[in-house]
Amino acid sequence: MKRVFGLALGILTAIGGFVDIGDLVTNAVVGSRFGLSLAWTVAVGVLGICIFAQMSGRVAAVSGRATFELIRERLGPRLAVMNLGASFLINLMTLTAEIGGVALALQLVSSVNYLLWVPFAAIAIWLVIWRVKFKIMENVAGLVGLCLIGFAVGLFLLGPDWGELGRQLLQKASTGTEKTSTYWFYAVALFGAAMTPYEVFFFSSGAVEEGWTTKDLAESRANVLVGFPLGGLLSLAIAGCAAVVLLPELIGVTALSQVMLPVAMAGGKVLLAFIILGVVAATAGAALETTLSAGYTIAQFLGWPWGKFRPPAQAARFHLLMIICLLVGIGTLMTGVDPIQVTEFSVVFSAVALPLTYLPILIVANDPQYMGEHVNGQVLNSVALVYLVIILAAALAAIPLMIITGNGQ
Amino acid sequence: MSTADDNQGPRYLDAHLHLLDRQVLDVHGVPVAVVDDLELSEISAGQEIPPDTPPPVITALLSGPALATRIFGGRPPESRMMRTPWVAIREIGVVIKLSVGRDTQDLSWTERWVRDHVIGRIPGGRHTPKDEESQQAKGNQRGGS
Repeated sequence: MKRVFGLALGILTAIGGFVDIGDLVTNAVVGSRFGLSLAWTVAVGVLGICIFAQMSGRVAAVSGRATFELIRERLGPRLAVMNLGASFLINLMTLTAEIGGVALALQLVSSVNYLLWVPFAAIAIWLVIWRVKFKIMENVAGLVGLCLIGFAVGLFLLGPDWGELGRQLLQKASTGTEKTSTYWFYAVALFGAAMTPYEVFFFSSGAVEEGWTTKDLAESRANVLVGFPLGGLLSLAIAGCAAVVLLPELIGVTALSQVMLPVAMAGGKVLLAFIILGVVAATAGAALETTLSAGYTIAQFLGWPWGKFRPPAQAARFHLLMIICLLVGIGTLMTGVDPIQVTEFSVVFSAVALPLTYLPILIVANDPQYMGEHVNGQVLNSVALVYLVIILAAALAAIPLMIITGNGQ
Repeated sequence: MSTADDNQGPRYLDAHLHLLDRQVLDVHGVPVAVVDDLELSEISAGQEIPPDTPPPVITALLSGPALATRIFGGRPPESRMMRTPWVAIREIGVVIKLSVGRDTQDLSWTERWVRDHVIGRIPGGRHTPKDEESQQAKGNQRGGS
């Protein structure tokens, strides 16, 4: 019974924790411009993150090594420094976007300008990192994040023409006013949003934090394989809501309130309150994950002691680094930069950094010195190799597409 | 090169693959540093080596600001590098385990400075809640086994 409960909790947490500000914004933007015709990229991205998150968790459980230690060992200092620089900057950008997302959601509730919420949000996040146990932190954020199911409820309440949505699913490339290059630009952005590198840094380091062993592998696999796809369905519900309400009216998404507009129309105040709670939890949860990931990547690269399972004084540089990152995030937001735009940039740059992150995981997952009998099977390896090709293509295409399309304008 | 592995014969290590860029853990399983460079026993540079000279041995693992020089070339001054003597190594596996504690090593002075001057002074910086203690022990044990 306890096992069943643990499994259910893990799956629910994975669903609630899957969506972050990048998924929220990108899915709504895409839904309002392309309908559901890009839903396939979400599916491809979700399968990819399932495969690699599960693999990085298995490596961490079996060998006790988190992802960035492996990146340095396997890529050597030169490539690893490049990867560290890129991952760290993207992570910082994502962190900034997530704090902005929390503040924007709080602004919707309180009508107090989001800039005033930014420092409070960041301090709250720091306090959680400083004091709250890892397990509690993860479960609370994930469970409250489940409120995002309101998007699915909203989609049903809107009573859309399901046949039309189905046709959009099968529609290829662009239609009408949108150019083909813009279509592919958003395909890359959605893929980047689903597969953001911080998720594997966090997932593998979390496995070490929670002291996973080979016994926990089955449970973690179930969490990922059931939880992430259901989280992906939430992403699609967000896109679906935008496709039903915003697309026909030609409303472009430039603010968080527009992401939630369809739900407010469908379910009124109660459902809207529900969604806002979900957005706060999801973005705050992701802010925690990205802040910790900032610490994890640098500490693992340089061999510092790290982890929430240690008292802060025994992982001093790790904690100092996270404080600095939060301060940089606050500072960036205080310049008045639009958090939604930061988000849009962060998902595209995520796509660029993907190959250097996922290749070392795949290499080490095949190394018997680390993995013993738990090395990858042939089927998994072939699927992972196909993904490396996709990831590489997305990474190479991201920047050129961004320039050609003027960032999707 | 062989390590004092009790139940196996001599093991052959590839310095590049098995030593460089590996995580070093102290006797309690706490991360100390990453191996940035190796110190070899004296061979005089620039001279021809007589045929029957004994091969050089690794005398210490070095950590410090070697990253930039490994990428761009050159050498950092020796005083900036921090040594872990080879004899302090207990085991070489997917991580390098030492037989000494962290604070007896000079390696982590920055860590100690930040702990004593910043993090340790923030309220709650030294707390170890009860139920986290077991986790910590668990984490330390598994540190890289």
